[in-house]
Amino acid sequence: MEILALENLSFRYPAEEKDTLSHISLSIEEGDFCVLCGTSGCGKTTLMKLIKRELAPHGTLSGEIRFCGKAQGELSARESAADIGYVLQNPEAQIVTDKVWHELSFGLENLGCGTEYIRLRIGEMANYFGIAHMFREGTSHLSGGQKQLLSLAAVMAMSPKLLLLDEPTSQLDPIAAADFIGTLKKLNRELGTTIIIAEHRLEELLPIADKVAVLENGALAAFGTPQKVCRELGGTPIFAGFPTAARIWQKLGGTGEAPLTVREGRKFLEQRVKIASLSEKTNAKNEKNTLTEQKSTPALTLAEVFFRYEKSAPDILRGASLSLREGEFFCLLGANGAGKTTVLRAAAGLAKPYKGKIKAHGKKTVLLPQNVQNVFIKSTVREDIEDMLAIYGAKKDEIGEKAFSLAEKLGVTHLLGKHPYDLSGGEAQKCALAKVLAASPDILLLDEPTKAIDPAAKRELAHIVRELCRGGVAVLAVTHDVEFAAENADRCALFFDGEILAPAAPQIFFSANNFYTTAASRISRGILENAVTESDVLRLLEVAK
Amino acid sequence: MNKKNIAKYIVLLVLVPLVVLLGAVAFDDKKYIFVSACVAVLSCVPFFMSFEGKKTSTKRLVLLAVMLSFSVAGRYIFAFLPHFKPVTAIVVIAGIYLGTESGFLCGALSALVSGFIFGLGPWTPFQMFAWGLIGLLSSLLSEFLKKNKIALCVFGAVSGVLYSLLLDIVSTMWYDGVFNPSRYLALFVTALPVTAVYAASNVIFLFLLATPMGKKLERIKIKYGL
Amino acid sequence: MNRNDIAFARFHPTVLFFYFFCLILFTVFTQNPVLLLSALCGGILFCAVTNTAKKNLAAAKLYVPMFLLVSMTNPIFSHSGATPLFFMNDNPVTLEALLCGVDLAVQVCAVMLICGAFSRVMESDKLLALFGKLSPRLATVLSMALRFIPLLKRKWGEICEAQRALGYFREESFFDRIASYARVFSALVTWALESSVDTAASMSARGYELAGKKHFSLFRFTRGDGIMLALTTALSAVTLFGILLGKADFDFYPRISEINTDIFAIITYAAFGTLALLPFIFEVKEALKWKYLRSKI
Repeated sequence: MEILALENLSFRYPAEEKDTLSHISLSIEEGDFCVLCGTSGCGKTTLMKLIKRELAPHGTLSGEIRFCGKAQGELSARESAADIGYVLQNPEAQIVTDKVWHELSFGLENLGCGTEYIRLRIGEMANYFGIAHMFREGTSHLSGGQKQLLSLAAVMAMSPKLLLLDEPTSQLDPIAAADFIGTLKKLNRELGTTIIIAEHRLEELLPIADKVAVLENGALAAFGTPQKVCRELGGTPIFAGFPTAARIWQKLGGTGEAPLTVREGRKFLEQRVKIASLSEKTNAKNEKNTLTEQKSTPALTLAEVFFRYEKSAPDILRGASLSLREGEFFCLLGANGAGKTTVLRAAAGLAKPYKGKIKAHGKKTVLLPQNVQNVFIKSTVREDIEDMLAIYGAKKDEIGEKAFSLAEKLGVTHLLGKHPYDLSGGEAQKCALAKVLAASPDILLLDEPTKAIDPAAKRELAHIVRELCRGGVAVLAVTHDVEFAAENADRCALFFDGEILAPAAPQIFFSANNFYTTAASRISRGILENAVTESDVLRLLEVAK
Repeated sequence: MNKKNIAKYIVLLVLVPLVVLLGAVAFDDKKYIFVSACVAVLSCVPFFMSFEGKKTSTKRLVLLAVMLSFSVAGRYIFAFLPHFKPVTAIVVIAGIYLGTESGFLCGALSALVSGFIFGLGPWTPFQMFAWGLIGLLSSLLSEFLKKNKIALCVFGAVSGVLYSLLLDIVSTMWYDGVFNPSRYLALFVTALPVTAVYAASNVIFLFLLATPMGKKLERIKIKYGL
Repeated sequence: MNRNDIAFARFHPTVLFFYFFCLILFTVFTQNPVLLLSALCGGILFCAVTNTAKKNLAAAKLYVPMFLLVSMTNPIFSHSGATPLFFMNDNPVTLEALLCGVDLAVQVCAVMLICGAFSRVMESDKLLALFGKLSPRLATVLSMALRFIPLLKRKWGEICEAQRALGYFREESFFDRIASYARVFSALVTWALESSVDTAASMSARGYELAGKKHFSLFRFTRGDGIMLALTTALSAVTLFGILLGKADFDFYPRISEINTDIFAIITYAAFGTLALLPFIFEVKEALKWKYLRSKI
C-alpha cells in the first residue's frame, strides 16, 4: 500500500527568487526504508519538514502531499502528530524534558493517553531501545548517541506509521551512528515502520535501503532501488558519499549488480583480480611514505605526558608521547571517550599534565573545537574574524582587508555577512577555520574536523589542510574518520589506554589493523596488499592493466 | 490593554492589599509573615492561570523556559562573585522583549526553580513576588527602557534596591512576627553592602547584556515568525 | 546520604506536600513553646538521621549563630514586657523580650529546618508532579528549564575553553574578566536561543499543540500513602482543634503566661509532637526493619 505520495511538489521561501524544491514526485510504499540524499543545501530538510505538517516552513507550496491516501490538509491534528514521527539532527536540542521517562511519556501525554497505558508503553519503549537502565535519570547526562536513541524512542512511543529522520547520525561518532542505524533497521524489519532518512553518510545505510531518492538543487535527480540509483548516478559528485564498494565498482566499469557491502565488494574485487591475473605488483606501498620521515623539524613535542582531572581520578594520559613535525598532518584515531580530546587540550595548554613535558618550541598553537559553533561569539562571520584579527594585533585599517583575504583563502567570502548559526555544517567549519587562522598559528589542533559535514565539504577541508601544511603549519587532528585519515594524513596513530601507539604512515598503519580500518582496506585485504584507500585499489588494478 | 489584563492588574493592585488588610485584622496583626506569603503566592496565581488557560504558542513557551534557565544558570556561572548575579537583569530583559506575562513568569519561576535546586524556604514566595513584579514593571516600561540605556541602568539599580528593601521587610517580620521599624533599619544598614552589590550587578549586567540579548531575541522572534 | 536512602521520601508527593504544609502552618501560627520545641526537635532529629555527619556539622554552623542572633537581638528591638532586667541607652531590656526572642529563634530555626527537610524530600520530580496536576503547561516550562540549566552550565564551560584555546580570554583584571565572561555569556545566549528553535519543533512534532493533554507522573498512590495521609489528617485535625479552642495560647507580653497543662492541652501537644516527629519515627522504623530483615537472611 502506498503510504506517502508527493505529486509535482514545488516550494519557495517567502524572500527567495528561486524554488527551493521544484516538481518533486515520488511514492513510498508501506514498510519501505528510504534514504534521501544530496549535498547540503539541496532542500532535503525543507522536503522532510513539508511532509511533517507541524514543522512546514512558511512559503508558497504547489503540488500535493498525500499520506495514507489522504491529502495532507485533510489529516486531523491528531493523525498528523501521531502517525508521522520526526527526529531532528541535533541530539541536544530536540529533547524537551528533564528526565528520561518524562521524555518518553511526553508525546503520549499530548495525545491524552491514560496513566496505565502510558506506564506500560514507556516501559516497553525503554526496554526495546535498551535505555531501561537510565529510565529515571536526567536527560542532560546522556551521551550524544544515547540522546538520539532517546529521541527516537520518544517518537516511536506514539507508534507512528511513517518515521522521518533528518541527518540523525551526523553529530554522532561512527560507533554510535552504526548503533543507531542498526536500531532503525530493526524497527523497519521487525515492526514494519516506514522510514525516510536524510543522510550523506551512506556506507552503512545503503545496503539496508529499499529506495534511494537523490535531490540536486531542489529537483529529484534519481529515485529507485539502490542498484538503480548506483547505475544512474555513478560518477556524479553525489556518488562520493556512496559505499566504497559501489564506488570501486563504478570506477572499474563494473556492470550488473553494484556491490554495496564489504562482502559484495570483496567478491567483485576477487573476480576482477582473477580476470586481470595480477601476478607481481599487488603491493600499494610506495616510496612517498618514507619521504615524510625525513623532514623533521619538530613543531610540537609531547614527552611521556601524564594527566588526570582530579587527584583521585584515573589517568587519562599515561605517558603519551608524540612528535609533530612542521608541515605535517597527523591524525590521531581511537575510540570514543578514550581521552583523544585530552591530548589536544594538553597540547593547547588547557590541561596541565602532572608529569612529562609538552614543548611547542615557541610556536603559536590554536585549537578548533569539535563543536565549531563554540568559536563564534559575534552576530556575523565577518565581525568574528575581524575581532580575532584585532586581538592578534592587526592594524585597524588593515583588518577589513585581511579578513577578506582570509575568507577568500577558505572560500567563504559569500558567507561573511551571515549569522554563524545560519550556516550549514561544512560552511560553519570553514568560517570557524577562517577565524582560527586569523591568529596565524604555527600549530593547528583539530578536534573531529569531519563531524557533521558532507563528502564535498570533507574534500574541501582536506584541501585546506594540505595547503596549510604546505605553508609549514603543523596540523594535529583527532578523528574517528578512518577514511579521511587514510586519504589525507601524513602519519596516523592510535590512541589507547592513555598512550599514543604506533605512529606510522597511513598505509602501514591501516593495513596493520584488522577492524579499525577503512572499508577499502577491508574489501581488498588478502586480495591486494597494503591498499587502504579507494585510490590505492584503483591504482593497483590500473597498473595491472 | 484587554479585559483580561485589566483583571490581572486589579488582582495585583487591589485584591492583594485588601487581603493584607483583612489578614492584619483577622490575625490580630501578629502573623503578617504567613499572610504575606499567602498574598505573594496569590498574586502569582492569576498569571499562572492565564498562562494555563490561553494558547500561548509553543515557541513563546520555549523562549520563556530558555530565559528562565539563564536566570538560574547565571547563579552557577557567576558563583565566583558573591551576590553578583544576573537574575534580575535577565528578568528585566525578558520583561522588555517577551511581554508582560513572560516577564512576570520569568521572574516568579526563577525564584521557584532556584528553590528547586538550592532549597525552598520561607523566602521563596517573596522572591517569586519581587522578581515577578520587576519583570512586570519592566515590560510595562519596555518602550521607554528599550530606547534609553541610562534609564534602563537606573531601573536596574532601583529594582535591585527595591528588591532588597522588600526582602528586608520580610526578614524583619520573620524575626519579630510583626514589622519592627528599628530592626528594619538595622537590617537595612547591615545589608547595605549586599544591596549595593545587587544594584551594581544589575546595572553592569543590564549595561552589558541588554542590547546584545535584545538583538538576539528579536532575531529569534523573526526566525520563529512571532 | 542519597535521596533514595530517605525512607520518608518514598511517599507520594501529594502526601508529602500535605504533611509539610500542615506542619509549617502550625509552626508559623503558634507561639507556644511546647509546640515550637517539638517542631524543632522533629526538624533536628530528621536532619540528623538523614544527613551525613559532615553535612550536619555544616548545618549546625548555620543554625546556631542564627539562633543566637534572633534570640539575642529581640530585646534590643522590642521593649515591651513588665520585668526590666537592665537598661541600655535608656531603653529597658526585659525578661519577656529575651524569652520571646528565644521562642522566636526556636520558631525560625524550626521552620528553616522543616523547609530544609521539605527540599530534600521533595526533589524536582515530585514538585513537577504536583505542579503538573495544577498547571501542565507551567510544569512543562519548569521541566524544560530543569533540563536546560545543566546543559547551559556545560556549554558555558565548553565555550569558555574554546575561547581560551584561541587566546581570547583575558583574566588579568576584574573588568577584563567580567568583559570576557560577558562575551561568552552572550555567545551562550545565542546558542541557547538558536537551539530553542529545534526544541519547539520537537515539541510541535510530538503534538504539543493538541487539545486534551493529560498529565502523567510515575508516582503511584499506595496503601502506605493512604495510611500516612490519614494519620497526618487526624493529627492535624486534633492539633487544629486544640489551637482553635485556645488550648495552646501563649503570650509573652506584658507578662509571660503559664503553659497550659490541662488534659486537652496535653492531647494537643501530643498530637502535634507526633506529627512533628513522624518523619523521624518513620525513618527509624524503616532502618530497624532493614536490620531485622538482614539478620533473618
